[in-house]
Amino acid sequence: MIATDALRYAWRSIGAQRTRSFLTLAGIAVGIAAVILLTSIGEGIHRFVLGEFSQFGTNVVGISAGRMAARGGGPTGLPTSVRPLTLEDAQALQHVPGVIGVVPTAWGNAEAQARGRLRRTIVYGVSADALAVFNMQVAVGQFLPGEGADEARSFVVLGAKLKHELFGNDNALGERLRIGGQSFRVIGVLAPKGQFLGLDLDDTAFVPAARAMELFNREGLSEINLSYAEGASAKAVAAAAEAVLKARHGRADFTVTTQEEMLGTLSNILDILTMAVAALGSISLLVGAVGIVTIMTIAVAERTHEIGLLLALGSPRGTILRLFLGEAVVLAVLGSLLGVAVGFGLARAIRLLLPALPVSTPLPYVLLAVASSAVIGLLAGVLPARRASRLDPVEALRSE
Amino acid sequence: MATPSASASEAQIELQGIERVFHLGDSVVHALAGVDLRIEAGEYIAVMGPSGSGKSTLLNMLGLLDRPDAGHYRLEGRDVTTLSPDEQARVRSLRIGFVFQSFHLVPRLTAAENIALPMVLAGLPSRERDERVRKALDGFGLADRAEHRPDQLSGGQRQRVAIARATIMRPAVLLADEPTGNLDRATGEDVIRLLEQLNADGVTLLVVTHDAALGARARRRLLMEDGAIRHDQRRLDGGFHDAHA
Amino acid sequence: MRTPDLLAFAVGAARGNRVRTALLMLAMAIGVAAVVTLTALGDGARRYVVREFSAIGTNLVIVLPGRTETGGINPGSFVSGTPRDLTVDDALALLRAPAVQRVAPLAVGTSELSVGGKLREGMVVGSTAEFIEVRQFKMAQGQFLPREDWNRGSQVMVIGAKLRAELFPNEAALGQFVRVGDRRFRIIGVLAPTGSGLGMNTDELAIVPVSLAQAMFNTNTLFRILVEARNRNAIEPAKQQVAGIIQTRHDGEQDVTVITQDAMLATFDKLLGTLTLGVAGIAAISLAVAGILVMNVMLVSVAQRRSEIGLLKALGASGGTIRMAFLVEAALLSAAGAVFGYALGLAGAAVIRALYPTFPAYPPDWAVLAGLGTALCTGVLFGVLPARNAARLDPVTALARR
Repeated sequence: MIATDALRYAWRSIGAQRTRSFLTLAGIAVGIAAVILLTSIGEGIHRFVLGEFSQFGTNVVGISAGRMAARGGGPTGLPTSVRPLTLEDAQALQHVPGVIGVVPTAWGNAEAQARGRLRRTIVYGVSADALAVFNMQVAVGQFLPGEGADEARSFVVLGAKLKHELFGNDNALGERLRIGGQSFRVIGVLAPKGQFLGLDLDDTAFVPAARAMELFNREGLSEINLSYAEGASAKAVAAAAEAVLKARHGRADFTVTTQEEMLGTLSNILDILTMAVAALGSISLLVGAVGIVTIMTIAVAERTHEIGLLLALGSPRGTILRLFLGEAVVLAVLGSLLGVAVGFGLARAIRLLLPALPVSTPLPYVLLAVASSAVIGLLAGVLPARRASRLDPVEALRSE
Repeated sequence: MATPSASASEAQIELQGIERVFHLGDSVVHALAGVDLRIEAGEYIAVMGPSGSGKSTLLNMLGLLDRPDAGHYRLEGRDVTTLSPDEQARVRSLRIGFVFQSFHLVPRLTAAENIALPMVLAGLPSRERDERVRKALDGFGLADRAEHRPDQLSGGQRQRVAIARATIMRPAVLLADEPTGNLDRATGEDVIRLLEQLNADGVTLLVVTHDAALGARARRRLLMEDGAIRHDQRRLDGGFHDAHA
Repeated sequence: MRTPDLLAFAVGAARGNRVRTALLMLAMAIGVAAVVTLTALGDGARRYVVREFSAIGTNLVIVLPGRTETGGINPGSFVSGTPRDLTVDDALALLRAPAVQRVAPLAVGTSELSVGGKLREGMVVGSTAEFIEVRQFKMAQGQFLPREDWNRGSQVMVIGAKLRAELFPNEAALGQFVRVGDRRFRIIGVLAPTGSGLGMNTDELAIVPVSLAQAMFNTNTLFRILVEARNRNAIEPAKQQVAGIIQTRHDGEQDVTVITQDAMLATFDKLLGTLTLGVAGIAAISLAVAGILVMNVMLVSVAQRRSEIGLLKALGASGGTIRMAFLVEAALLSAAGAVFGYALGLAGAAVIRALYPTFPAYPPDWAVLAGLGTALCTGVLFGVLPARNAARLDPVTALARR
């Protein structure tokens, strides 16, 4: 039998029993819709989180003291008696080929006081390069000047929210800020940056790293961040930085992580989560498949007569098998198309109703859904189709 | 009467020592017990006998719907006894046509589609099919009923569709099992005349019937009882006489 | 029609079509089994986490240095310095609080431990003798830190099981010396293995007196202070008192964050509980699909049994009786499938428990009831339409068509 004829035959059979066929493919549709919706949400979250990270700039390599980070244990920024990262280390890294910015970082939590107002805030000790490396923008005034680490003057640059809390709408430039007993002069205010996974980036104060280390009585930096030129290889830069530090420290008692590695781990986790959720939705698909098996079994029993006729008319058994298999596949694929439409529609609706929840329907998953539905139809239809093709024509003709 | 095995014209159908046994519960039924039969091309044969005599089994055997437990079946010079199911299907498709008592039309297909069914199964392209179906519809007087479904046709029209379907592949043999059983007498007459017309065009016609009047119209009559052919009669001037003593 | 007859009618109908009945039950079973197994998994996780948290010590109040205006817990507040140190004396002062039973100050950092020629970086915790009681650790060998002046410390160390295995693979650890920086510590105890758990895994810790740790890291401020309240009711008062004492000592500044272990536990409990609910919800979608199948099959069944229904009506059955009969059939099939699924789900949970013995994977009662209930309701709901169709059949036409 020619393929188009077989398809038409299957189509007519399905169309002859509209309600039944619709309910059967509705089962698959529900399953597929669930999977599409869930993976859309998963993908949306994935993109959202990656987007949040990328606001820091993508060509960044992070270095922290000790190898605990490499082993994955413990929170970073702990005090350590392992050889600390120093401002001199940061300076040395400036000469690594490909590096266009070095930010030694020391951070902590302190109280900022200005004009009688008090506010507890996060204090970042950084260098002039922080502006570029962390993708920040100055709204008023300037950022920290690029002077030698030890001579760093007690300047402070405020985040948008901090400025507003302490100075309201007044000009803050030139004002004095007391942080933890030390006095700093405001030389700039940053443009609002927003939140990062819940952390308010605008409620921060930026001072020179050397001053921050004094403030929090630290011997070493919390970490050093490098940014490298577009086109330079992250691996190469990381390796070069490692070499420089190793020479200075005598051995590798620090950890270098490229942003790729950081994002990679996160990406993997998110992907696994999305797949797990999709697997949950697939349980519905399984039930839908059972539905197809059931209906095809009924169909074969009902059309035993017709099968006998086809055999009498000279149809090879293989044709009978393919006809019924084809019906199962058509049902499944139709169901999946309906499911994709419904799932996609629901995802869109959610996007409109809850803008806060990121939703994005990934095309590969859609294609996968339709393809797997064809496979489901095939598998579900196999047993009933085989039974159909094995009927004895005489018996079949006799039955009613 | 023994006939030399190497005869001038080889028979179209040759059955030798055909046996068919059914096991129903504990009992054993010999549906066909040692049947020998020679049929030349173009013959018009009626197969008659009481119920259980094996007529339908014989027809199924001839139509390659069933396989004998013993014996040989040669069709157009070819031993078809041991063909695989798919090979049998092929022979059925090309050489044999069936007409059933209850028509056996596919309810959801139109008359035209029902007639086209054997060609669709054989994999013929639609252009060729449409042409032949059109001719068949015209030939059988069904042109204005082409798009109607079986439940919209009268009994006679349905049987005509069935006969059109049975002959669309131009088979060598036409097997009819009680073709007028579900029709009134007038319509039945029309149908039989149709079959006889086809026979006149050269198609071998076998009709299973219990209607004596129908049986009388054939040129050869097989009377079956208990799975064997008791009498093999040919019509000679007005009456039937046994072909051999 | 009497109930036992109704049931018999339904069972007879189900028996009449074994394959169809089996497949229908399978569909329902998959849905219920999924709900049961997945909620067992989710609830197991919840209970595991809660249990681990409780194992950290009971009636715990934790003081962390640093605070942001927004309050609460965020990455910024966990590891930061403040201009005003959280000192050992602060911790000592907390003992004055009436609701407080015990206090254990913590100073934490990473350092290099050297034994013989071996070098190994590890987390060093500085604390006091109370630490083992507050955290309810168990010793494998020797003893924990001695009770002594918190501001002075003897050069002794207690190590975790894994550290011991790595540093002293072939010999006894007790009495040996470990060099950290330019100090030598004598090992006086080894902790029992704790395996993986939340909070700090002690297997890789090296515990020394707090004052020595602070000197080692050259810092005057503590990582946190663990406070054990006298009993459950004393937790809240302890929280207030502790915050008050620190504030007084810090010149009226509220520069620490005080959280109760309960609060953290409650957060996790709620989080995991919601997660389990979500997972169960997704699995329950399959029950809806099973319901659709029930409707489909029953519609077919009604169509095929037209003559039977026509006959029943001709014999005097009312529309209501017919409807009831088919509803009972739908309910019976769903119930049977659901029970079968429940058994499957329990088996699944048992397998999980066998593979991960520390995981208490038991399906919570609410989930079982919800699953079975939903299955039954879906089955009956989707059986309504076919039952109505059956009840509405006209006996004459139903019987006429053969």
